[in-house]
Amino acid sequence: MEHDNGRRTFCKLGLAGIGTVFGLSALGGGAVFLGSPALTNRTEGQWIEVGSKDDFSEDTFSQVILEFSIQDGWAYSETRMLAYVRRKGDELIALSAVCTHLGCNVRFEEDRGEFVCPCHAGVYDMEGKNIAGPPPAPLSRLPVKVEDDVVFVFNKQEEEEHHG
Amino acid sequence: MAKKRRGLIGALDRRFHFMDYVEKEVFDHPVPPRLNFMYCFGGITFFLFCLLVITGILMAAYYVPSTEAAYATVEYLQFEVTGGSLIRGIHHWSANLMILFIFLHMIRIVITGSYKNPMEFHWVSGVFLFLLTLGFGFTGYLLPWNMRAYWASKVGIGMASTIPTIGDFIANVVRGGEPLGALTLSRFFATHVIYLPILTMFFLGVHFWMIRRTGVAEPL
Repeated sequence: MEHDNGRRTFCKLGLAGIGTVFGLSALGGGAVFLGSPALTNRTEGQWIEVGSKDDFSEDTFSQVILEFSIQDGWAYSETRMLAYVRRKGDELIALSAVCTHLGCNVRFEEDRGEFVCPCHAGVYDMEGKNIAGPPPAPLSRLPVKVEDDVVFVFNKQEEEEHHG
Repeated sequence: MAKKRRGLIGALDRRFHFMDYVEKEVFDHPVPPRLNFMYCFGGITFFLFCLLVITGILMAAYYVPSTEAAYATVEYLQFEVTGGSLIRGIHHWSANLMILFIFLHMIRIVITGSYKNPMEFHWVSGVFLFLLTLGFGFTGYLLPWNMRAYWASKVGIGMASTIPTIGDFIANVVRGGEPLGALTLSRFFATHVIYLPILTMFFLGVHFWMIRRTGVAEPL
């Protein structure tokens, strides 16, 4: 069969071009649509009341549970976060209990004066510094404030404080 | 006779020998002369169906078919998700336009007499596809679980229950029991995203295969 090859090439390239534009639009649009919650679904940090100033001592960490509600996609859900608070001079220190290795909750061993992670035996000292085991970084500090002797802990770590 | 093809296509073709077939069936496929835009209505319907499939698959990542969650998930999808109103809007408009283009396609077939021998079964499979599309419309309409959805389904199912003798039974089957509620929403969802798509793809395959075998009817 005799073909007008110029015309056939034009049609093929045109189809390929239109197909590419449509295909990339669909891929891009789909990626934005599915990726949207990763970029927008962030709850602002909040100050959570954890007790009065006298509840916390200088030589040991007290465990506090921060309870707050977060946006969970199309719903809101109550969530809990474990933290440790102690007094240091006139100030209060709050540490997130989330192990910097793989995110388990560490527990404070009073007799050793250290935090130990039950998952892979990571160890942190009284300052939250990682001193043994796999953790690559210290426990994150949570901002603390005292208003009229009532202690509040911020539920996001310090680097993100400016969001709050 | 085989052309030397370069690149990935060439490498694949030297092993699997499919490009001659593609050339013959796609690029060299003969169609009658003097076809006009009215011969595109079926293809446009299929294009809209593809849009519906893509946007539907995307929305499935957010939608939850439960009476507590359905409305909240649609609201979230529509107002919070980036591009959500666009994706849902494309689904909405493609669905409406698909009905329109099915009608235009059918009118063209009737005008050109394309349902006649040897193409009677094209028409029959097309009627099945039309009914399936109406099924998509009916089941999809309930999913946002708002007032309009609820009452539209109430009325639609009410029509079924007016059939003498078996009407109430049919209505109960469609609803999944007496109340229009949780089970109705679940089964409409399953019908909308699983049962009907499988049936539709089967009939589309048959429809397209037959038109390939007989060729497009000559224009008047």
